[in-house]
Amino acid sequence: MSDPMRIRAAVKGEKVEVKILMSHVMETGQRKDAEGAVVPAHYITKVTASCNGRDVLSADWGPSVSKNPYLSFRFKGGAKGDKLKVTWTDTAGDSRSDEVSIG
Amino acid sequence: MCSSRLLALGLWLIAASASAAPAWEALGKPLAANEIASWDIDVRPDGVGLPPGHGSVEEGQVVYDTHCASCHGTFGESTDYLALAGGVGSLGTATPQRTVGSKLDYATTLWDYINRAMPFNRSKALSVNEVYAVTAYVLNLNDILPADAVLDERSLPQVEMPNRKGFTQAHGMMRADGKPDVRNTACMKDCLKTPPQVSSALPAGFTHQLYGELGPHFRQFMVAAPAAAAPTPAALAASNGCLACHAAQQTRVGPAFADVARRYAAVADAPAQLRQKVRAGGSGVWGSALMPPQTTVTDAALDQILGWILAGAAAP
Repeated sequence: MSDPMRIRAAVKGEKVEVKILMSHVMETGQRKDAEGAVVPAHYITKVTASCNGRDVLSADWGPSVSKNPYLSFRFKGGAKGDKLKVTWTDTAGDSRSDEVSIG
Repeated sequence: MCSSRLLALGLWLIAASASAAPAWEALGKPLAANEIASWDIDVRPDGVGLPPGHGSVEEGQVVYDTHCASCHGTFGESTDYLALAGGVGSLGTATPQRTVGSKLDYATTLWDYINRAMPFNRSKALSVNEVYAVTAYVLNLNDILPADAVLDERSLPQVEMPNRKGFTQAHGMMRADGKPDVRNTACMKDCLKTPPQVSSALPAGFTHQLYGELGPHFRQFMVAAPAAAAPTPAALAASNGCLACHAAQQTRVGPAFADVARRYAAVADAPAQLRQKVRAGGSGVWGSALMPPQTTVTDAALDQILGWILAGAAAP
């Protein structure tokens, strides 16, 4: 299991501002190690965020996203105390979900 | 060869110091403890030098978001400025990431650095407690402290850093391409290969021809600072707290000094009577307000103040 995401979600005016830091190697599959062998691809392909069960963000990611990705977005309709759940799935089939209360 | 040179140098230094000492001994002054304290700001690995204070991770998040996140990133993840978190174990690899968590060997160093140098545009703007709080938060970003941690001057030196044994000074503080602050290594033995040649870029005797003998001018200013002017009786009355209740001409909590002077104008031993009243305190003479016994004012100051009052308490 990978390290937990760091998630901050706070109401800013009408919207909820979400900041997420994921911990992931995000290997593109095009890099070679010191021996010249290709490092196998290992990156996040799907990110979803839901607020109290309602999807607020869905993203298809590829190998061009950096290591330990930082994601920030805003959405309407969230309120203080709502549960924001973020999930990612990667090429290895691994998945991780973390949940925070909107502050 | 080397040792005789060193010996000669040593003798030269002794001779120089012996002959130079009288000319300059009058310069400077011993520093008072508070003056030394204002310079003595370093914080050592074991926590010596940390001022008392405390701050929690939670408080630190507020400080961090206000002062730090714009450059270092919300989670200390910034890539275009200095990242504060992550990179643990990367120092020996081809792409070293120097962060608080991966580089520092003591948490007190982080406190010292923030306290001296951060925020970059307004260093020293944070209070002691804010520095403790933001230190705790940065350590939390590095997963070194739990989210409910509170740091103070005793707990901060106890924090165990991941890179406790791996600190090097071969490069700048954090950045991979940074230069170190100093490249010198401490030399403890046989260090001077050749005697130092002290010289000036100016022609020989230039300063002396231009200004003459400078020493006496320095001594004039720096030897004996003129004694501070003796405080006036009015200043003494202020510094001893008399003016909290009394004024020169107006009745306040206590009688005006001018009224006291009028009442005691014909009294022969007025100073002695008044001195006793001030020392013992009392009430009922001028009104019901109580005058507390004044014990801290010195006899000399009290005599000056009373003389000034009996003379009418003129403004200085």
